[in-house]
Formats: sequence, structure tokens, C-alpha cells
Amino acid sequence: MSTPNKVNPISSIILSALTDQVEEKSIVWLAQKREKILLSGKEMDFFIAFSQASRFFKNNSFKLSDDQFQETQSFCDGLRMDLWTQLQAARVYLLLQYLAPNPDSWRETLQKLFETGDMLEIEALYSALPVMPFQDEMVGRAREGLRTNITSVFDAVALNNPYPSKYFDESAWNQMVVKAIFMQRPLFKIQNAESRSNKELANIIIDFAHERWAAGRNVILEVWRFVGPFINSENFKDIERVTKSNDELERNAALLACSMSDFPEAKKLLRSYPEIESKINSGVLNWDWIGEQALALA
Amino acid sequence: MRTPNLPKMEMFIDPHIHVTSRTTDDYEAMRKAGIVAIIEPAFWLGQPRTEAASFKDYFSSLVGWERFRAKQFGIVHYCTIGLNSKEANNEPLAEQVMELLPLYAGKQGVVAIGEIGYDDQTAAEDKFYRLQLDLAKEMDLPVMIHTPHRDKKKGTTKSMDVSEEHGLAPNMVIVDHNNEETVKEVLDRGYWAAFTIYPHTKMGSERMVEIVKQYGPERIIVDSAADWGISDPLAVPKTAALMRKMGIPEEHIRMTCYQNALTAYSQSGQMDELDWLNAEPIDQTKKMSGNSVLRGGQVPRVEGPSDRVEN
Repeated sequence: MSTPNKVNPISSIILSALTDQVEEKSIVWLAQKREKILLSGKEMDFFIAFSQASRFFKNNSFKLSDDQFQETQSFCDGLRMDLWTQLQAARVYLLLQYLAPNPDSWRETLQKLFETGDMLEIEALYSALPVMPFQDEMVGRAREGLRTNITSVFDAVALNNPYPSKYFDESAWNQMVVKAIFMQRPLFKIQNAESRSNKELANIIIDFAHERWAAGRNVILEVWRFVGPFINSENFKDIERVTKSNDELERNAALLACSMSDFPEAKKLLRSYPEIESKINSGVLNWDWIGEQALALA
Repeated sequence: MRTPNLPKMEMFIDPHIHVTSRTTDDYEAMRKAGIVAIIEPAFWLGQPRTEAASFKDYFSSLVGWERFRAKQFGIVHYCTIGLNSKEANNEPLAEQVMELLPLYAGKQGVVAIGEIGYDDQTAAEDKFYRLQLDLAKEMDLPVMIHTPHRDKKKGTTKSMDVSEEHGLAPNMVIVDHNNEETVKEVLDRGYWAAFTIYPHTKMGSERMVEIVKQYGPERIIVDSAADWGISDPLAVPKTAALMRKMGIPEEHIRMTCYQNALTAYSQSGQMDELDWLNAEPIDQTKKMSGNSVLRGGQVPRVEGPSDRVEN
């Protein structure tokens, strides 16, 4: 994660990666805009360049070499620039060229960008949270991003983004996970999920599952990941119920949750499925695998 | 869940519809009727706004929420950005709105400056119309002209005169809300002539058929301008059906209800047939390498169920 004394390498990584994968005229444009933003320091120059980047960059996938990817990881663990688009990367590059003198002016500038942004621009801004200056100023903005009903904007905050796990307090974190569940998002793409699991969240999920079951509806199977470490005598019967599901993947998810628990009954239950237990122990059966399977079936 | 390849169906574009005011039932019916893309011009909301921030939120919804809403129904949403002529008459407010426009005019999917022009043909309307023509020229964007409902013929002529005075090429300008009295001059001067089909006033589908019979399909565009008033979001497919019944050639129907709008507004560089012919739902976290592959039969894109939001 960025600290004040760590030099931000992101803008040079973006520039060198883009240079390898887009037309020269796009890079020339980017250089001109950089110059203009640096010289004038005017917000409007930056805003217009930020929007018009779509005329020079496409939504093609942004490719990073292994070395470049490693460099991004040592700067910010869990940063998934490899999932960005070229347009998104170009916009983040421009964002990093605009220098604000202090946190207040940065927050104000970003507020204007967010308030006037189109969907893709707003997505680029949220995905840039973990690499931008004064990022600790943006917690309120990131929480605002969770209130959207635009799936792709919500995803930009919640998925493949290490920002929430680093900056959100427990209530914001829980709000994010619960809304992701409600919107049926792929939960395995939430970064550093395990490190932020908590009992309150597990309780909310159990209540949610009861509500859904009462309505004759299913619960997405990735939720059990967040209950696993907090299995207790009260909620064990719910986990047990899921291990008896007709759906094999759902049974696997419940047993994987048991493997995260110290609750004796849960351990005992897992031992009664030796085949699955060994798959869990060998690492073949894990939450990413479950999530990928669920996503493929969606 | 992917929708299997649909049989090739007729496709329409409604290049003027204020979907912000319409329900999801309308969206569903539009998609079912074959509308694959729409353009929502910035307009007034039936009641004048009193703060610049209201315009900001409105413009933001045109490039944000409404785009998303349309996408849920498999319709690609574009918009035009502009200060409408009615609200141009509040000069102090209009000045502030003019400062907002450059923030939006360059955005992706903004296909024109519009709808602009005259309402009562006042001095204030004239001033802001001219300023926005200059903006369109600077941004290299087409212009969508709203011609006045009162004193229409003179207003339409004046709209074109002023546009030429500011150096805009007629092929970059779409003159909307035409009728039998205005169409000839608009076409003769090289402009795109759009017709709004209203259930009760202005143009009806029957009159539209007669115009296409008389003038042919070149540079003629059919739209609904459906909004918060009595209007019909299915006006384009319904007019197409009537044209067919009245013996208008298929190619003329395709041009007036699809292709001409696409040709006119894609001059912005912001509208591309692939946007709806591309059948894969877009998932920004997914690698996009296979994204531009057209499926057989030109099937419009349908989004996955997870894009449908429960509130």
C-alpha cells in the first residue's frame, strides 16, 4: 500500500504498458494533455482530457507484463490493473498528472469529476482509489459508490479493488459485502476478504439466508465463506442444512466453510466427507474455485 | 445466462426520445418492437429548472443512470447535450449552464449538441443558440435543432440561416420536428430532416408515409420524441409497419427508421453499429479479447440477469 515516502510508480507503468499496446497517436495525445495539465494546472483542462480520452483509447484489455504486474503488487498488494481497460488506464494516468496542492483541493476536484462523470469515468475513478494521492480522504466517496445501483460502478469499488479492505471501517465493509451478496456479485473478487471477516457480518448473512429461505429463494453459495470462521452452536444447523443441498457446489461451499471453523461439530461434519476434506487440504477446493464455478453457471 | 441466437429481426433506432420520463414497461415494449438504440436529447423537464446544479444532475443522469437503465433492456442509449431554448430565457441561469456544457459535450456516447434552437424566438434564445453552435463546431459534433412549434416555418428557416452564419456544414445538422411545410427547404439546403411522430399533434404516421412517398428516404429520419407528455415510445416501429402496409420499399423503411439516424449521428465518432450488434454482454472485469466478434444473424446484445437491479 502507498505510504507518503513511497514513490508512486503507477503512472510510469501505465505509460510504458500503453505505449506497447496502443497506436502512437494516442500516446502523443496523452503526452500533449499531460503537458497541458502540468503547465496550466487548470481543472478544466484536466476534466476535458479525462473525458476525451475515450476518443483515443478503447475498452480493450490493458495488458501488463509479469514484471510490471509484480511492480504494481509491491506498490499496492491486491491492485488488479491487469483487469483494467486501456481507456481506464489512460484516465488513471491523466488523474495522476493533475497535482492538487492539498487534500481539500484534491477532494473538491475529485468531487466534481465524480458528480459529472459518465459510467466508465466513474468506474475509472473508483478503481484508481488505491493509487491516487490523498487516498485516505476518499472513504466517504467510496462509501457513496456502494450506494449506486449501476452494477459496473458498484463493482469498481467492491471487486478487484484493495481500497475497501484497507480503509473501510467494519460497518462500511459489512455494508459492501451485504450489498454485493444482494446484487449477486462474484464475492471471490472482493480483495482481502478473509482478513476483514467479522462476527457481525456472519450474523447479518445468517439472518439474510433465513429471510431468503423463508421466501423460497436461494442464497448465493459464496456467502458461507463469511460465516465459516464464526460457526457456532446457533448457526451450525444452517451450515448443516447447506451440506445436505442437492447442489454439489453448494455442499462443497458449506464444507469449505466448515474447514475455516474451530467449532467441534463443524470439524466433525467435515471429517465425514473425507474425499472433499482431502480436496480442501490439498488446496484444489478453495473459494476462488467455488466462485469461478458459480460465475460460470450464472 | 446467455440468450440464444435470436432469429434475425428488424432493427430500429429512435434518435429522439426522452426516456428519463418513461417506464420500464416502455423499455421492454421498445426492445420487443426491435428498437436497438436510442438518442436522448437534453431538453427541459416540463417545468423550468431554477438552479445550475439541477442541470448538472440531469446531464449526469443522461450519461450515467439512464444509460444503465436502457442497457438492462438491451437498448444502447446515447444522448445529446445542450441548453434548450425555453430555459435559455433565464439568462443568468443559462450563463451558468453554458459553463457546464464543455464538461459533458466531449463524453463518450454524446452524439450531438442539442436539442437547441428557438422556442419563442427571443433575443436570449438567439444568443445561446449561437454560442452552442460555436461549441458544436469547436467539438466537431453534429447539432440537433429543435424547431419552434409556433411560427415554425420562419423559425426553421432562421435556424438554418444562423447555423450557416456560424459556419456549420448542413450535413452536420439534424433539423427536427419538421412538417409538410418545412421539409422541402430543409432537404433542399442539404440538412437532415427529422420528423417527430406524435399521437395527436404535429406529425402522424399517415402523414409521414406520404412524405416518404413524395420525397424518398434520403436524409429523412423518423423519431418519437416521446417524453412526459402524451406521446408514443413505439412511434418509430409503428410508422415502419404502416409504411410497409402502404407499400413503401423495405430499403426506404430501413433508411428512415434506422440507417439515416445512424449515419447522421455517427459523424460524432460516438455511435457505432457494433455497440448493439456485438452480442456478448460486457463484463469489465472480464478480458475483452473476444469482444468484437459478431455472432451470426446480427443479434443485438442482451445483458446478463445480474445487471437487473432490485431496489
